[in-house]
Amino acid sequence: MIKNYFRPKTIDELSELKLKTKGYLFSGGTDLFVKLRAGTIDTDTVIDTKYLNSRKIEITGNKLFIPINATYSELRMFIKQNNVNNMLENIVKTIGSPMIRNRGTPVGNISNASPAGDFVLASYLFNAQVIIEPTSRKLPVKNFIKGPGKIDLRENEFVYGIELEILNDYKFYFEKVGRRNAMIISIASLGLLLKEKDNKIKDIRIAFGSVAPYILRDENLEKSLIGETINEELFKHIAIEYQKLSSPITDVRATKEYRKSLVHNLVIKAYNNLFEKVVKE
Amino acid sequence: MIIKFKLNGKEIVKDVPVHKRALDFLRDDLGVLSIKEGCGEGECGACTILVDGKNIHSCLMLAVELDGKEVLTVEGLKDKTIQNAFVEAGAIQCGFCTPGFIISTKALLNENKNPSSEEIKEALEGNLCRCTGYLKIEEAVKLAVKMYNKGSDKK
Ligand SMILES: Cc1cc2nc3c(=O)[nH]c(=O)nc-3n(C[C@H](O)[C@H](O)[C@H](O)COP(=O)(O)OP(=O)(O)OC[C@H]3O[C@@H](n4cnc5c(N)ncnc54)[C@H](O)[C@@H]3O)c2cc1C
Ligand code: FES
Ligand code: FES
Repeated sequence: MIKNYFRPKTIDELSELKLKTKGYLFSGGTDLFVKLRAGTIDTDTVIDTKYLNSRKIEITGNKLFIPINATYSELRMFIKQNNVNNMLENIVKTIGSPMIRNRGTPVGNISNASPAGDFVLASYLFNAQVIIEPTSRKLPVKNFIKGPGKIDLRENEFVYGIELEILNDYKFYFEKVGRRNAMIISIASLGLLLKEKDNKIKDIRIAFGSVAPYILRDENLEKSLIGETINEELFKHIAIEYQKLSSPITDVRATKEYRKSLVHNLVIKAYNNLFEKVVKE
Repeated sequence: MIIKFKLNGKEIVKDVPVHKRALDFLRDDLGVLSIKEGCGEGECGACTILVDGKNIHSCLMLAVELDGKEVLTVEGLKDKTIQNAFVEAGAIQCGFCTPGFIISTKALLNENKNPSSEEIKEALEGNLCRCTGYLKIEEAVKLAVKMYNKGSDKK
């Protein structure tokens, strides 16, 4: 049961409290309070980060900075108003429900480090850097997340923000396969970013959620695709390669065989959608 | 911890235990009976309240987090248009979910005076109803929009 509740205002105060009390940080609480209730986390101390004086969502150079405590709803508004990384909207609008988006945060999502986390997937696609205080460490999200629920954070450290690349002129496809329309905890998800020139691939980024213990993205495979002509054959090749790379599990939501076939079919579906062919279900 | 906030326009100062959820504090200690506990984990929307104009789940919030905020529940709605529209459209059966739907509708209409079907569906996707079905609820929101527009025509 929670016995102590703190509201630090500065980075140092927050860091000292975390070190001293070993309490859990929270912003939206949409992961933490669910886990406390389920008993998968037990703590007597929670640290509310919402009183921290921090930077706001901002564009710095060619980066989009998303600070601690910025909610999905705030991010959505910012993207729209500033016409930046509009592709993110397609991911963010599928997260939870309006109530979850009014409270939940991208920083909470990556700190929670679920392989089904939608903002974790977004962070992989946009080559995000995770900014950590009070040490001012900065590391790529793929190094920050070490496994399901495991992150590279020392006892005095916390996530201060996430920095995403700003991408222009990319084609984008995102799909989350789940059981219901709202509040999907996905069975599998795919995000794909593609830049083309003369019908050839200039840059491609492909990431899958929920089909491995981590977000599945293979940068070597992506590199091998650069310069290739965009056609159905190529995407069939991509689909088969990722199917091989995926290592899904069977759980109450889906079997591993089903998830494997989803990996394949989602890639083909992305191709059909992006290149305006008739969508085969 | 002593907190100070506004509930339905009224200033409240109270000492609350830090472990208490906003839902339990509002319902059990302050008698706000419109908010209900369905699932207790952010899935059903029966506990929805409006905090500083945004709809959120009171089951996933601590009472101490209400400090300094403005909270609105169905009890505090002076304008009954949305409620009337729900009644008229037959969008209520047992009524358990209704306050949550009304608060989410209020949040939507605060920001969007003329929502499309798509926007209505998105705004209400976090509220579950096990009796009525969502068609009548969507109709109720459209009716509320119509009633508001008629009201403003007269002025
Ligand atoms: C009904 C429902 C639907 C949901 N739907 C989705 C969905 O569709 N997609 C999805 O990806 N997620 C979903 N979620 C999960 C959750 O809403 C998201 O992961 C959200 O982004 C968490 O953000 P938060 O601010 O609420 O995190 P919190 O609960 O506040 O924190 C999450 C975790 O990170 C730690 N933490 C928080 N802040 C920091 C920090 N600054 N530094 C270090 N550690 C920190 C906390 O101790 C906690 O363990 C859903 C949850 C619910 C209840
Ligand atoms: S009781 Fe809060 S969402 Fe169900
Ligand atoms: S009217 Fe009964 S749950 Fe909606």
